[in-house]
Amino acid sequence: MYSRHTLPGKLLRHLLIWGMIAFALFPVLWIFSASINAGNTLFGQRFIPPNPTLSHYQELFTSPRHPFGLWLWNSIKVSGIASLLTVSLAALGAYALSRFRFRGRRTGLLALLIIQMFPQMLAMVAIYLLLLEIGRHLPGLGLNTHAGLIMVYLGGAMGFNTWLMKGYFDTIPRDLEESAMIDGATHFQAFLQIILPLAKPILAVIFILSFIGTYSDFLLPSILLTGTENFTFAVGLRLFILGEYATRWGIFAAACMLGAIPILVVFLSLQRFLISGLTRGAVKG
Amino acid sequence: MAVILLKIFLLGLTNALGVWAAVGLFLAGSWLPLGGLVLGLVALNLAVLSKRAYPLRYLLPGLIPFFLMVVYPIASNMAVAFTNFGTGHRLTKEQVIAHFENRFYLPEGGERFTYQAFRGPAGSLILLLTSTLTGTNYLSERGILQAVELTDPRFIFDGQEIVEINGHHRLSRRELVQMMGELQGLSLPWGDEAVRLVSLAEFGVARQQYRYDPAEGVLTDLRTGITYTPVEGIFTSVHGERLQPGFVVFIGARNFSEIITNPHISGPFFRIFTWTFLWAFLSVATTFTLGLALALLLNDPYLELRNFYRTLLIVPYAIPGFISILVWGGMLNVDFGIVNRMLQDLFATKIPWFHDPLWARVAVLLVNLWLGYAYMMIVCLGALQSIPQELYEAARVDGANRWQQFGKVTLPLLLISIAPLLVGSFAFNFNNFNVIFLLTGGGPPIPGAITPAGATDILISYTYNLAFGAAGARYGFAAAVSLIIFMIIGTISAINFRLTRSLERVGESL
Amino acid sequence: MKRAMALLLGFTMLWGLVGTAWASRPGVLTIWADSTRAPILAELSPAFTAEFGIPVEVHEVPFGDIRARLGVAGPAGEGPDIIIGPHDWIGEFIADGLLEPLRFLEGIRDQFVPVSIEAFSSGGEIWGLPYLTEAIGILYNRDLVPAVPETYAEFIALARGLTDPEKGQFGFLTNIPQPDPFHSFPFFTASGGYIFGLDEEGVLDPCDIGLATEGAIRGGHLILELITAGLVPVGTDYAAMTGLFNDGKAGMILTGPWAVADARAAGINYGIAKLPAIEGQPMRPFVGVHGFMVSSFSANKLLAMVFLQEFIVTKEAKLALYEADPRNPAFLPALEVVAADPEVAAWAANEAVGIPMPSIPEMAAVWSAWADALTLIVTQQLSPEDALRDAVARISGLIGCPR
Repeated sequence: MYSRHTLPGKLLRHLLIWGMIAFALFPVLWIFSASINAGNTLFGQRFIPPNPTLSHYQELFTSPRHPFGLWLWNSIKVSGIASLLTVSLAALGAYALSRFRFRGRRTGLLALLIIQMFPQMLAMVAIYLLLLEIGRHLPGLGLNTHAGLIMVYLGGAMGFNTWLMKGYFDTIPRDLEESAMIDGATHFQAFLQIILPLAKPILAVIFILSFIGTYSDFLLPSILLTGTENFTFAVGLRLFILGEYATRWGIFAAACMLGAIPILVVFLSLQRFLISGLTRGAVKG
Repeated sequence: MAVILLKIFLLGLTNALGVWAAVGLFLAGSWLPLGGLVLGLVALNLAVLSKRAYPLRYLLPGLIPFFLMVVYPIASNMAVAFTNFGTGHRLTKEQVIAHFENRFYLPEGGERFTYQAFRGPAGSLILLLTSTLTGTNYLSERGILQAVELTDPRFIFDGQEIVEINGHHRLSRRELVQMMGELQGLSLPWGDEAVRLVSLAEFGVARQQYRYDPAEGVLTDLRTGITYTPVEGIFTSVHGERLQPGFVVFIGARNFSEIITNPHISGPFFRIFTWTFLWAFLSVATTFTLGLALALLLNDPYLELRNFYRTLLIVPYAIPGFISILVWGGMLNVDFGIVNRMLQDLFATKIPWFHDPLWARVAVLLVNLWLGYAYMMIVCLGALQSIPQELYEAARVDGANRWQQFGKVTLPLLLISIAPLLVGSFAFNFNNFNVIFLLTGGGPPIPGAITPAGATDILISYTYNLAFGAAGARYGFAAAVSLIIFMIIGTISAINFRLTRSLERVGESL
Repeated sequence: MKRAMALLLGFTMLWGLVGTAWASRPGVLTIWADSTRAPILAELSPAFTAEFGIPVEVHEVPFGDIRARLGVAGPAGEGPDIIIGPHDWIGEFIADGLLEPLRFLEGIRDQFVPVSIEAFSSGGEIWGLPYLTEAIGILYNRDLVPAVPETYAEFIALARGLTDPEKGQFGFLTNIPQPDPFHSFPFFTASGGYIFGLDEEGVLDPCDIGLATEGAIRGGHLILELITAGLVPVGTDYAAMTGLFNDGKAGMILTGPWAVADARAAGINYGIAKLPAIEGQPMRPFVGVHGFMVSSFSANKLLAMVFLQEFIVTKEAKLALYEADPRNPAFLPALEVVAADPEVAAWAANEAVGIPMPSIPEMAAVWSAWADALTLIVTQQLSPEDALRDAVARISGLIGCPR
């Protein structure tokens, strides 16, 4: 569909993209500028602050009541584990839905997708009480534990994730597994040794989407995590916003900048998979 | 062989633990957890043992958290929808009764006592109470008060202070405070009354203020004699006095009927629904269009710096949403935001972003576009690459130009594969509370409206306002509304899935 | 090597997965406070522990969350013993049965500023131990404004003189257009507006809403004039107002004691003044009172009372609270100590004519309707009469008042 460009064509394309980049990055640059601005408001700044300072960044790491470094680590930990487990659960489910025929398969998948559209407004109270109860019987898994929080995130593992993966698995030809099973392999072995390696791209895709989703989430952790040292990055950020009267923009902006780094790292290192990943499962060529 | 033995052993162990836990739950009367546990155990056994239920092994690990964390809250939500759970009705009836029965009052003219406490080596407690009324001293031993004189031989003095009674040493104030819990629970008989600890410094005659009669279901105020019966979750007297707090009661479908009959809700409903639908549709349309356009640009193998551009354009997706929304809110401030300041410098105009209904809608769509185009871009990039080149060759041979190739080859194949994601995105935006709430709060308000619906309110933000912004929190009502919204979006999505035949294809692809 | 690292990483992660309990348990006092007050409590409480041997745990909970969390955590047995918050929370808490009345305060109520006890009283009981009072006033820049006029007419004239949009300088700024009904209240009260009237027993009557009385409408017009006269841009929000003030570009702003710290940090030569009088009538702001409340689900009720009565209600503790968070103490002995400070006196002058914020749950309906009315007024889409009348109709409808 593409052919070599003429010079004006090339120029136009690059111009359009730079225009788009400006739109995309403008707010981000603004946040960055606020993070190095000595004052505490977002308003009234010029783009380049007159007295740039790193004091907000320093404050982030030296405030004993607000262990920002710990919060970042907590976020990485929780999101990392939750995403790994989500990928595993979704893969297992997708394999079953793709390879086995059983009653209620299609309706089941439809139900999975639609049930997740329920407005989550009030689920919070129910989940809080649920974890409270679980925590009474299984202490490591209740309120204010990272394990409990991860468990709640796993509730969303089946759903669009599973659908995406299933689509991908569908495009992997069955002969490979069939010949392996003729040679004596079980379904599970075929799953582990044949399907999964071929599905690396979609696994990476789901991992990234899960990671970004759980990392940015502040609603669940702010309800379930009650101890300051257990907070995730997003929850900690909320503390800065929900100060009694006004947002402390300086420190807030600095926190945003630093907090974006783990996501970008994860994204950059896995992005090569993203492209080919969403491909195969999606299209029926 | 060994594997099979291991499996059986583990299953047996799990079953044993499960049964043990189930018995515990049964004895404790927790029916719902018991039901869940039994169901889970049955499913587990089925999965491991039955050949026909083989797929269950793969599905169970994901289904368990799904049922716990998604289905259960929805079910509890639905249950709440039939109650009046909310401000003034948060506690259970038992909690409310306990709340009242634990109240004590100090009757007029009731005696007060200063006290000293003494503890013996075995941990036993002796209290010496001195009435503030009569000055008489009383000794409590084993919970009975007896009058004593200070000259009692059991008392050992050090100057004016008693330091020991019967081998029990006097407790300092610090030790008293540490024993608060124990002291608090004491109730010493005093005639036909009781004497209890009323503050750190004093005991006093205290009477229970309320008594509940379970047979009649009546709460009586022992001080005034007034009786209260529960009326819709509040103890109410004959004269209409109500005791706070109230408790949760089942009210049937009243929340649902309110949705239909209350003009505050039914009035603007259609308008809000229309905007919600438009909002979801336009969000998907704009993000998809921009995402696709960028994907097409970036998919071009002849474009330089593709990877660099792609990385930069992903950044908005990596910043947590609520942060970006707040920043956009600041940038779009009518007088002081950077956007209007630039517009003022360049074109000498200011856009009334949050004050004009149309521009407010543009603003929320703009911000949502910024937040969501990257996801669509990624998706389209992937889908584009899977369209086989041969199709384009064939089209070129047939004389199609670039635009026709796009229209006849690219777009149709793309839409087929992406359709379900678009449906999902529509459903997501239909309920996208975040952007609306944080950016405009549902505003700007509509002049002349008697309902709190603003120009950018979507169904869910509007009902949130109604449920929590009227007279305290009304969870029952909010739950009923959530259910209705779910039915709406569920139906729309099911129709969409049907229309795009995505699930058919998914079924086909086996 | 890589594998070992991965394993180690995994192990470290798992280690941190287990949490601990943070609820009320016997023998330990648990306090929930927001980020302003948690550090102060954390510093003060070791003295209590030293004297009585009872450990005190202070948890930092975001201000907006304390209220929501208490309602869920308290009845579930996961709540705290003591919380710190503003008095307007008690309406909902009492309706939900979440608070324990503080009987020990009856005997010592005259040791507190009267309005502070009044704010925390309801149904004949006192539900919170007040420790600070606050009300808004005029924060002004002495370099731009030598003295704040005492009548509104002069006040506006002064503001007009100072306002120069070319230079980006403003005589008087307020964030009422945000919309912020809380700050608009003084305009309404000066001519006789009110929120809820009192019924015969002196209890607030939620169906007697005074936001559309003549006086209130006059207040609405005064606010509209601020916009039409070009004194206050319609997009002014709290960030803009304080930002301009701290940049030295605003002469006078309408705000409360919480804004002082930033002004001081920005090096502004600031002063605090009483709100001007409108045609002889004082502008009455809302008075907010913050205090300590005890959860009715606490396992340590008497212990909590001991903490409050023996430890907090002392001059020393109150002064320590004041030092860390300079808003006027509600405890008279402490207030006397700091009364010499002119800032304290200035804020107190505003509080003296103030009205406690209503704490009944029906206020929720008021805030949103009032805010919308203000938006319609400042954007000139409706006249103040229409906007305010609509607001009152809406509030009555939402609360369920008889027509």
